[in-house]
Amino acid sequence: MQNATSRRQLGALAAPSLIFTVGMIAFPILYTIWVSFHASSATGQLRFNGLGSYARMIGDDRFWAGIWVTFYLYFLSLSLQLFFGTWLALLLFNAKRLPGVVRSLFISPFMMPPVVAGMMWIVILDPSLGVANYLLTSVGLPPSTWLASPRWVVPTLALIDTWQWTPYVALIVLGGLQSLPPGVYEAAEIDGAPRWKKLTRITLPLLLPTLVTAMVLRSVDLLRFFDLIYITTQGGPADASLTLNIYGIRTGFEFFQLGYAGALMITLSAIVLGAVIALNRLRAAVAW
Amino acid sequence: MTKRQLVTGVAGVALSAALGTQALAQDFDWKAHDGETITFLANNNPWATSVLKYKDDFEAKTGITLAVDSYQEQQMRQRLMTVMNARSDEIDIFMTLPSREGMQFAAAGWYNDLAEHAKDDVSPEYDFDGLGDALVEAATFDNVLTGIPLNIEGPLLYYRKDVFAECGVEVPDTLADLQAAAETIKSCKPDMTAFASRGLKPALPYTFSNFLHNMGGSYMADGRSALCSDAAQSAIDTYATLLRDYGPPGVVNYSFYQLTSLYRAGQAAMSFQSSNELSAVMEGGERLEDTGIVPLPAGDGGSVPTTIGWALSVSAFSDNADAAWYFVQWATSPEMQAKLALDGIAPPRAGAADDPDYQAWLAEQTVRGEWNAALADLAATGTSEVGYPIVQNPESREYIGQAVNAVLLGDSDVAEACAAANEQLDALIARQ
Repeated sequence: MQNATSRRQLGALAAPSLIFTVGMIAFPILYTIWVSFHASSATGQLRFNGLGSYARMIGDDRFWAGIWVTFYLYFLSLSLQLFFGTWLALLLFNAKRLPGVVRSLFISPFMMPPVVAGMMWIVILDPSLGVANYLLTSVGLPPSTWLASPRWVVPTLALIDTWQWTPYVALIVLGGLQSLPPGVYEAAEIDGAPRWKKLTRITLPLLLPTLVTAMVLRSVDLLRFFDLIYITTQGGPADASLTLNIYGIRTGFEFFQLGYAGALMITLSAIVLGAVIALNRLRAAVAW
Repeated sequence: MTKRQLVTGVAGVALSAALGTQALAQDFDWKAHDGETITFLANNNPWATSVLKYKDDFEAKTGITLAVDSYQEQQMRQRLMTVMNARSDEIDIFMTLPSREGMQFAAAGWYNDLAEHAKDDVSPEYDFDGLGDALVEAATFDNVLTGIPLNIEGPLLYYRKDVFAECGVEVPDTLADLQAAAETIKSCKPDMTAFASRGLKPALPYTFSNFLHNMGGSYMADGRSALCSDAAQSAIDTYATLLRDYGPPGVVNYSFYQLTSLYRAGQAAMSFQSSNELSAVMEGGERLEDTGIVPLPAGDGGSVPTTIGWALSVSAFSDNADAAWYFVQWATSPEMQAKLALDGIAPPRAGAADDPDYQAWLAEQTVRGEWNAALADLAATGTSEVGYPIVQNPESREYIGQAVNAVLLGDSDVAEACAAANEQLDALIARQ
């Protein structure tokens, strides 16, 4: 009896914060879904349009281009970050006597606000005044137009994001490395396994669950890639870096087409959710 | 409708209104809203930076507390859109660019009509008629005065006098001369950018529009997009050719920031960019002695410069519209505009331009005098048409930029690029 009363009291005490939290999560999603079923007038007025916005997407070349850019950037950035993140984690793990300052420097980029990082890279990569082309030409290489090249803009953005977020992946992987059972390595040592085999046959397979965790965390950000592009290229040149997220934001806030922007954002959310579910299943499959 | 008609209302009440205005002006009390708080959504541009230096003066004069919410231009619009769509009273005053969003925001009902305030609630020293007619009319939509002009601006040609002299180039009189000058400079100074202007898709209509109008083109004809007219095709071709053949590498991402950096660093012989950037271009003093400034040279259609200005508006959903008007009135008063002119904010009032302090400031450096003369030209002959004169003007700029970018990047020829843009622009016009 007393327990039931206590539970009721606890429930009553927790209810306001629970309602607030659920409301904060649910309301924006439900509102965006509701908006996506409407068409916007030139002045932002909404009228019911059913699935019209979703049907419009099918015939919209910029939507499909946005999907392509989103996934191109996602796969390129994720691959680079997993590769360099694992490499950096192994380096930090094996360099036991590395001074704390050096370790802090390694992880400093991801603590920098993306807007600051974006502005910094605009200056570095400026084709006329930037230090990047100065260094290239100093060693006899041709200069690049970097973010201004339709061909190179996505790889350049992937490189900037890799510079910023590799340390974050490295920290996750470092945690995984520190939790690996030392007994396996001792056995391999006794068997005389070379370092390369220890890495490929023991370390990496045992690290898989950790790597998938890093993939989940980075996937959510990468599929919603926004701030860096908005600061540096705004989706250009010629839509070459127009991800679905940038397209949605510009459609809604610059062109007043809130209904269509809502449909784009719901589609993007569905893609992110699908990726997270798939990666979580993968994580369960590789767990040990 | 002229500005005076707008302010005094219909002709039948003009006399009584004028007399009433005079009487009200005598009773005007700057402390009428003492203790109230108003919120100003500011675009973090030179005007806002300059006026906010005097924020304490406003608060001391009126007793009104001014809360400032300041953002970069695009972020400011996003914030504004969120607040206005919710019909929230969170923001009382905001900065707006009538040539871009005026028609759209007016149609959405976001502006408080300031004509009544300007008629009934003005201090004796506030000279509404002293504001430039063209700018007031550009801020008037469907007889609603949506904002009070803050400045006058437009793209101007900044050029290096020393490089011109070294290469034997005269200041161009026509667009054909401009292209010839760029060609000569390219041969004479191969390490230097001969000509630079905006290439970033959503930003370039500001500079491209001047080429279009100078070549005798316009964006619309008979209710349809005219981007494939002969004049418009020539304008696209000229603009894209100048940027592609004589512009800096990566010009397709260039907006005001990159143009200013390039020119200030001494890397460009000619830069067609905003008059607002004068202070930034002259920062450090390296370009003070070697820079000349003129409007864009004439084309087949003569000289029709782009002339726009920011305006200060009161939200239609403000609960403090009267107090908000006091800030608008103070910030756009002859006294304040004369002060701001000394920070390089070109005043929208002829009176402020004649102010002795401003004249002395202009006389201090030759380049300031040339800048002022070019702005006077803009004020006299300019048009505020930047993009399509439709409610969806911001979206129309996207398609203009797309056509120019396609030619600039070599993805299409002019005819293909303008046809593709026309299709989208006609659909946009039809949606209106």
